[in-house]
Amino acid sequence: MRAIAFSTAAAAALVLVYLALGGASYAPAKAADPCTPRDWREPKGVQAVAEQIVLSGIDGAACKLGVSREDVVLAFGSRAALERFAREHGVTPTGLERLVRTGIDRAITDAVEAGVLNPSVAQLIRGLASRIPVGDVIDLLDRFLGQ
Amino acid sequence: MQVTVRPRVSLLGLTVAIVLADSSVVTIALPDILARFDVEIATLAWVLTAYNLALALAAVPAAFVARRRPVPVFGVGVVVFAAASLSCALAPSFDVLVAARAVQGVAGAAVVCSALDLLTGATGDDATAARTWALAGVLGAAIGPAVGGILTQLLGWESIFVVQVPLLLVALLALRGAVAPRIPEPAERPHIAANLALLLVSAALVAALFLLVLLLINGWRIDPLAAGLIVTVMPLAAIVAARYSRRIPSPWVRAASGTILIAGGLAALGWLPHAGALWTVPPQIAVGAGLGLALSALTERALAGRSAQAVHGGWTIAARHAGVVLGLVLLTPIFTADLERNEKDALAAGTAAVVDSHISPLQKLGVARDILVAVDDAKSEARIPDVSDIVGTQDDAHADLASKLQEQLDRAATNTASRSFLAAALIALCALVPIVVGRRDMSV
Repeated sequence: MRAIAFSTAAAAALVLVYLALGGASYAPAKAADPCTPRDWREPKGVQAVAEQIVLSGIDGAACKLGVSREDVVLAFGSRAALERFAREHGVTPTGLERLVRTGIDRAITDAVEAGVLNPSVAQLIRGLASRIPVGDVIDLLDRFLGQ
Repeated sequence: MQVTVRPRVSLLGLTVAIVLADSSVVTIALPDILARFDVEIATLAWVLTAYNLALALAAVPAAFVARRRPVPVFGVGVVVFAAASLSCALAPSFDVLVAARAVQGVAGAAVVCSALDLLTGATGDDATAARTWALAGVLGAAIGPAVGGILTQLLGWESIFVVQVPLLLVALLALRGAVAPRIPEPAERPHIAANLALLLVSAALVAALFLLVLLLINGWRIDPLAAGLIVTVMPLAAIVAARYSRRIPSPWVRAASGTILIAGGLAALGWLPHAGALWTVPPQIAVGAGLGLALSALTERALAGRSAQAVHGGWTIAARHAGVVLGLVLLTPIFTADLERNEKDALAAGTAAVVDSHISPLQKLGVARDILVAVDDAKSEARIPDVSDIVGTQDDAHADLASKLQEQLDRAATNTASRSFLAAALIALCALVPIVVGRRDMSV
């Protein structure tokens, strides 16, 4: 019977040590909640500011749809992915674009209020964001990056 | 020329070890076999299932034939097994490979069952024969993945089957002057508790013998040779445990202790705190030691005092390999579902890492595109891509992104195997039920 007690103690000790070292939570990182505002990074240049604004806009769309920001980013990877995503979440590709544009508009306001964006530059970006055809941009990137 | 007792016992033990190693020997070679034959991953599992299923189904009928004429059954079995091994190596299509594996399984059943009677004839003692036969079986099963990995890396997967042929033909020398023991009539009832426990322990060991190897090679990108060396920890622990197991006189205590160690080791593999071969060493020691204690104790109990030995040997082989098939059937769907889930989670985590990285927006788009292409390519070869080659390490921002992406992939690969290991640990714990219920019957 001593052998059984020894085996049980050894097995339990091994499992407990692995659990204490984080074995139960060693998995891919969970996506952040898109409804919780992210901190503004120190943006360097207009490109970086614009990137953060777009990402913030995507957060807004993701929050409305109840998905992660990463799901929306991946949906904009190609026309096929965009159509699949729209089908799965009961929105049209145009509806999804509209959600992102609304989010971007709100993110621009936030950026101006946070003092990281000049109001006149903000107005320019706002104008661009409302007019750029997202589908055409995806096709353009497809061609550019595919080379 | 007659062969003396010791070489005869060694040759018979070697044959049993080779036949039972074939149950798991191709595990490391599976990605290479996948690359050679264009089949679905689910279909690929038939290379393992066909052998184990045929061995499980043929073991008892083969044992009934072997008990009457063990010498010719062993001889024919070895020749057919060697021919089937050669057919596996030369198989022009996947169907031929699976068919040859099934023939190997049937011939293997005849070989291991007749070897038990021949061992009784050679040693003149049922208990010694049973112990030798059980130990050879344990070592064969445990050493299979390691040998397979080393041969695959050095000489290609076909060599796994080719090297068996000369070894098996040499083993035929064991038949020179072999004496078949007297055949008692009729065969007694099989030992239900010991065989049921063997079935469950073998089902649990599928995770340690098959899944661990897949995790090392396909998940963590360790080359087959190194993976083969890493998993030798298990057979080494099994040898040490088997050597000292006689200090525990009660077989049921040995069986229970071994099963608890197997369950603990599998649970620890299910809760690995980090990716990396070193983290698998302590659980492998637990599983290996448990295997050395439990499988030999249960096999010996299933055979002890029961006649005819070959028939009861057949029952243990049927139980063990039915267990392997059960393990594959139970664990494969869990693994497949977790693979899909982790693939999705890793993609989301990888996307977050790219989006939040400090490289320029246009570079982000390029990197994301290249990674998606690499992941698709790697998926068809059932492996995880090496992202540092894709992202590059030209500056701190790229190096940091590559390391974060690799971390997420390692986490996903490790987590994919996690629930399967835990389910296997649960199956091992279930084996304690027949061990405890049948403990009076298993005591000395």
